[in-house]
Amino acid sequence: MASAPSKLYSDDVSLVVVLLDTNPFFWTTSTLSFSHFLSHVLAFLNAILTLNQLNQVVIIATGCNSCDYIYDSSKTANQSFGNGRMPTLCTTLLQNLEEFMTKDEKLGIEEAEERITGSLLSGSLSMALCYIQRVFRSGSLHPQPRILCLQGSPDGPEQYVAIMNAIFSAQRSMVPIDSCYIGAQNSAFLQQASYITGGVHHKPQQLDGLFQYLLTIFATDLHSRSFLQLPKPVGVDFRASCFCHKNTIDMGYICSVCLSIFCTRHKECSTCGSTFGHAQSDDASATNRKRKAPDS
Amino acid sequence: MPQVKIIAKNFMDMVASLTARDLDNLYQNPFICEAILRSLPPLAKKYVLQMLYIEGSVLAKSMEEWVLADGFTKHRVAIDRLVQLRIFSEEKKKETSYRLNQTFQTNLQKHLIYGGALPREPMPSNVTVRLPTLEELETYALGQWQCFLLQLISSTQAEKPTNFSSSMMKVFQRGLLTQRDKESPRLSESGFQFLLMDTSAQLWYIIREYISNSQERGVNQADLISFLLELSFHVSGEAYNVNTLSELQKNMIKDFADLGLIKLQQGRKDSWFIPTKLATSLSISLTDSSSRKEGFVVVETNFRIYAYSTSKLHCEILRLFSRIEYQLPNLIVGAITKESLYNAFDNGITADQIIAFLQQNAHPRVAERVPSVPENVCDQIRLWESDLNRVEATPAYFYDEFPSRDVFEAACDYARDRSGLLWEDSKKMRLAVKAETHTHMREFLRGQS
Repeated sequence: MASAPSKLYSDDVSLVVVLLDTNPFFWTTSTLSFSHFLSHVLAFLNAILTLNQLNQVVIIATGCNSCDYIYDSSKTANQSFGNGRMPTLCTTLLQNLEEFMTKDEKLGIEEAEERITGSLLSGSLSMALCYIQRVFRSGSLHPQPRILCLQGSPDGPEQYVAIMNAIFSAQRSMVPIDSCYIGAQNSAFLQQASYITGGVHHKPQQLDGLFQYLLTIFATDLHSRSFLQLPKPVGVDFRASCFCHKNTIDMGYICSVCLSIFCTRHKECSTCGSTFGHAQSDDASATNRKRKAPDS
Repeated sequence: MPQVKIIAKNFMDMVASLTARDLDNLYQNPFICEAILRSLPPLAKKYVLQMLYIEGSVLAKSMEEWVLADGFTKHRVAIDRLVQLRIFSEEKKKETSYRLNQTFQTNLQKHLIYGGALPREPMPSNVTVRLPTLEELETYALGQWQCFLLQLISSTQAEKPTNFSSSMMKVFQRGLLTQRDKESPRLSESGFQFLLMDTSAQLWYIIREYISNSQERGVNQADLISFLLELSFHVSGEAYNVNTLSELQKNMIKDFADLGLIKLQQGRKDSWFIPTKLATSLSISLTDSSSRKEGFVVVETNFRIYAYSTSKLHCEILRLFSRIEYQLPNLIVGAITKESLYNAFDNGITADQIIAFLQQNAHPRVAERVPSVPENVCDQIRLWESDLNRVEATPAYFYDEFPSRDVFEAACDYARDRSGLLWEDSKKMRLAVKAETHTHMREFLRGQS
């Protein structure tokens, strides 16, 4: 799997779509409290907006039942604000975030108890890409968009297909996905996302200094990336999830027509409907089994 | 277009050339810190951010590790710029290290944490009568600016004269117009080039002249620069009370209104000024970012130009290098011909400038296409230009009366080895060499005899 070809960027203008993980199940277990995290992120967003007058920031909250746009700097830019004490960025963002959280919580109660505790990364990735597509199509401006995932919750293997599709469409439209993982184990999805789209993946060692990590690594505009030393992937976890039980697997069966992945043998592909040949004896089936090995 | 960058850079050079005390005073104002930050090269911006929360100084060596090998020249440029603007101060003990200017640092830190406030509060809407909409404001600004430009080029054509005194106008025209005695002033070479620049570059040119002239009028350059940069952080379309300005600034805004930077309005009790897009985009155009405005020109492969514009100024500009065939209310149709281009080249406009102008102002329909100006047209423009430059002049030295053929041959070989031989005539034993090889040649011939 090759990394995305990089476009040539002529200046340092950037449109950053930030995906904010608001999953309460994660934040109750995290060493860094959500409010501290927010203050780091707010200062970081201010920094990006300060760098260039044309820079734009869009924030999408990734909840565990829904996701939503909570801030768009292009919409609030011309609004005057009431009491001048608190900057618009903070007030609108915090207000929208609070509304979003209560709504997300309500959705969670309505749903059955067996809900998983992951967050809807696939949803927010798709929303980010939709937003970027709209900007691409809307005018003659040439924004240089990138997506930044601030993710803490563990991967939800059930979202594998949706996330991979989002990653590939990002690759096609040449939008790098940066990812900063603040949870305990590293995320295979985000590693792959950044690797495939040519973004940067990093897992900060010390969460107190999150702001400095964000500034040093993730504030780098696409133009400067060709001159600066940025963290390189040490090893990317390329394991896939099977389509039938959503388990993460090392080795499995793969449909020769549509490349769907299964952990057990099936008579028929559940995705494209092609029927597979009859099973031969167990010895022979070993040759039939196609390996999905980690790519390098 | 290279011109744009030169002018924008020149402005920052002007800031950099202020005295150390003036610069430190400038950094007291958080808006100026922000504007200056935005005007830095991309790498320099990154360094400032990276150093923002580092209290001590950082070794130059460890900063070099931040960049890849390809980016080293950019790294040097960035560091030099930062030192020049006194944002970085150099400390030389054992090894060179840099630290951030403290006022600059604290101001930016505050800005990042508390977010950007506005320089002054807009006036409540119940006091101001009726504010122009953003579109009205934009047409006003452009109208004002084009009126100013027309007056600049030919004082007679302007419909309404601006407030600028004729002496001030002379200052602006200096460098753009030449006047041979008794004739009416004509556009000079740089004047033509000025017309082909985009609005922000033109604006900066004028402002630079305005600022460099300010000393003669007894105004401090630093005050002027700080007010201009501050102005660019106002929200366009909002009204601001004139009474919040100092006496000096009140004088300045009248001039700025003439340039279309702001619109002045008078209410029953108060008067206020409304910054236009031109003012708020001032600090954008300081960076190298390419211009981001909609164009109006379509060039076809048959050398015809269609310009969707109502502006008299655009027509004048197109007339510089093309033959205008007819004008409809919203459309100017012209053709690029050999004669019209020769005319342009005579006036000192280069082919690259014409092509850059056509590309930058390409109509959105064709701007997406690559190339936006047909290749055959570009090539032909360049070819016609090179037609004019068939003869090349090189300063040279001529040698003859060689004592023997051997010496002549040796001299020829010597000059050829140094790639300085321009011409030789072996029959009559004469040769010409480039001027820079003359001294070596003389030494050589002395050794021979």
